[in-house]
Amino acid sequence: MDLFLQTLLNGLLQSGIYALVASGLALAVGVVGIVNFAHGEFLMIGAFMAWAASAFLGIDPLLSLPIVAVAVFGVGALTYRVSIRHVLLAPELNQMLLTFGLGILLQNLALMLLGGNTRTVTTPYQASSLNIGELSIGGPKAIAFGLAVVLLGALYFTLYRTVLGRQMRAVAQNRRGAQLIGIPVDRVYLIAFGVSCGLAAVAGVLVSVLLFASPTVGLVFALKAFAIIVMAGLGNLTGVLWASVILGLSEALVQTYVPGGGGWSDAVFFLMIFGTLVIRSFRQTA
Amino acid sequence: MRADRMKTPASKRQAARKPDITGMALVPLAIFFALALAFPFLPLGDRGAFLLQIGFFTLVAGIMALSWDILARSGQVSLAHAAFYGLGAYGYALLLKTGLAWPLAMPLAALGAGVISLVLGAVTMRLSGMYFAIATLAFTEVVRTIIQNLPEDVAGGANGLLVPALLGGNSRGQYLLALLLLALTAGVSLAVRTGRLHHAFAAIRQGEETARVLGVSTVRYKLAAFFISSFLAALAGVLYAGKTFFISPLDTFSLANSIAPLTTSIFGGLYTTLGPILGATVLRVAEEALHNVVKNGYLVVYGLVLMLSILWLPRGLMGLFRRGKHGGDV
Repeated sequence: MDLFLQTLLNGLLQSGIYALVASGLALAVGVVGIVNFAHGEFLMIGAFMAWAASAFLGIDPLLSLPIVAVAVFGVGALTYRVSIRHVLLAPELNQMLLTFGLGILLQNLALMLLGGNTRTVTTPYQASSLNIGELSIGGPKAIAFGLAVVLLGALYFTLYRTVLGRQMRAVAQNRRGAQLIGIPVDRVYLIAFGVSCGLAAVAGVLVSVLLFASPTVGLVFALKAFAIIVMAGLGNLTGVLWASVILGLSEALVQTYVPGGGGWSDAVFFLMIFGTLVIRSFRQTA
Repeated sequence: MRADRMKTPASKRQAARKPDITGMALVPLAIFFALALAFPFLPLGDRGAFLLQIGFFTLVAGIMALSWDILARSGQVSLAHAAFYGLGAYGYALLLKTGLAWPLAMPLAALGAGVISLVLGAVTMRLSGMYFAIATLAFTEVVRTIIQNLPEDVAGGANGLLVPALLGGNSRGQYLLALLLLALTAGVSLAVRTGRLHHAFAAIRQGEETARVLGVSTVRYKLAAFFISSFLAALAGVLYAGKTFFISPLDTFSLANSIAPLTTSIFGGLYTTLGPILGATVLRVAEEALHNVVKNGYLVVYGLVLMLSILWLPRGLMGLFRRGKHGGDV
């Protein structure tokens, strides 16, 4: 029973990071209408920034987190300006391939400049843990989950209680209509894409503490984020939270209860993508 | 009289359009194949073996790109090409292990990959755009995970498999075999381009529902595209396995093997026969030339080429030669 509860707890904690990455992606897809295949690479940039700040300047990742978030917001905004903006009206295929190319470019640029090794960030609270009865929670995991909850709360507050958020939702629903009533669509897109990248970077900072920073670390998270938003339905921001929890829990369950689970838990999200897509496509036509 | 006058422009138009398929494509293609055939017999000097190896992998890249393009013509932009490349390589290695002769193992491995592609094609039949791309990407990872987690004495697990060298390691023979298979791929591509399939594929790509309303049996044609494309990609995988005589899940199913054909086709010119071959030649030769400059992460160039092609050269190298002719979808 304890093993079961511990498994559920681990899964729940893991889903915090998934939700951060996936809600960023959902923002890009839902508001800007761009399926950003380079989303994981912004996570990777965040992870490396946190590593660099910690290794060279001795700044704790939790302190460098806001700076990293703002910096990557800038990178994202710049990316929007020089590339995404020019394909907003192009066929979906071109948009997809453009961000795909960007992802390959960023990932391999990192590989070229930094090499393929994984870099770990050491923090004083790395090995700490919290004990509740028989259950134990790793310190960094708990911090990461707490941060994810706070940030997602802030994101949803912004989306549903502020002018900017209302503008974003308006643009998401109807680009031309929003333009007609005087919403600066281009600026909203820029901010939404920047925030989307910033969220990925925050997740990256947390990943650098929990796992490591490496050029390819983003890919897996981006794929899982795709699984989540596909399951939630494109652009559905509330669904993202539930789908993240489902993914986190099912991965944890596979890891604990399937023999040799470590290798198979990576296949869980693919099955999730496949399952949802197939079920949905058949339900559509039925 | 009037009928005559009406006829002239029409036949002129016919005459002007025909070279587009035959003259425009066949002459450069013939030149390419003549040069490629002569290449291994040139006095290449000390670096001959190395150059021949570059040539071999250029041909393999050409098969991959052109076979990817054939699938893309039916509107299915796949990220699963690495899966069929890998399935070809693994199928070939496993068939050889059962004692089958290589001339039999090669087509059988390709056939196996083709049949598996029908399963993927059937599952992804109703998906389009990004859903299709993500599903095919997921498929590749699932296949890799399965092969990696199979018992080690079956498929070698994460450590990979040893494969006997193709044609006893004769590099000129291997090159000529690759050239033959590229010629086969180009032949299939031309047949698709000039035949009934061309119209069916184009109709599906430009509007699947409309195509279905017009009586195009979309299911059959989309599956046919999948089968042809993955059969050919698997042949490329067989060549790779026989040349490097070692295959591992991480290398053969690498995302790079899905990215390269896609980028190559778009850079060379989508929906053409010459374009992907031309793209493969330019990109592979550039890869070797830049090898000493860019050691790690050579794919950076592919990423850049893909972005720049989408932004400024959406019809690829072929677009440079025939500006303003064909309609510019993608």
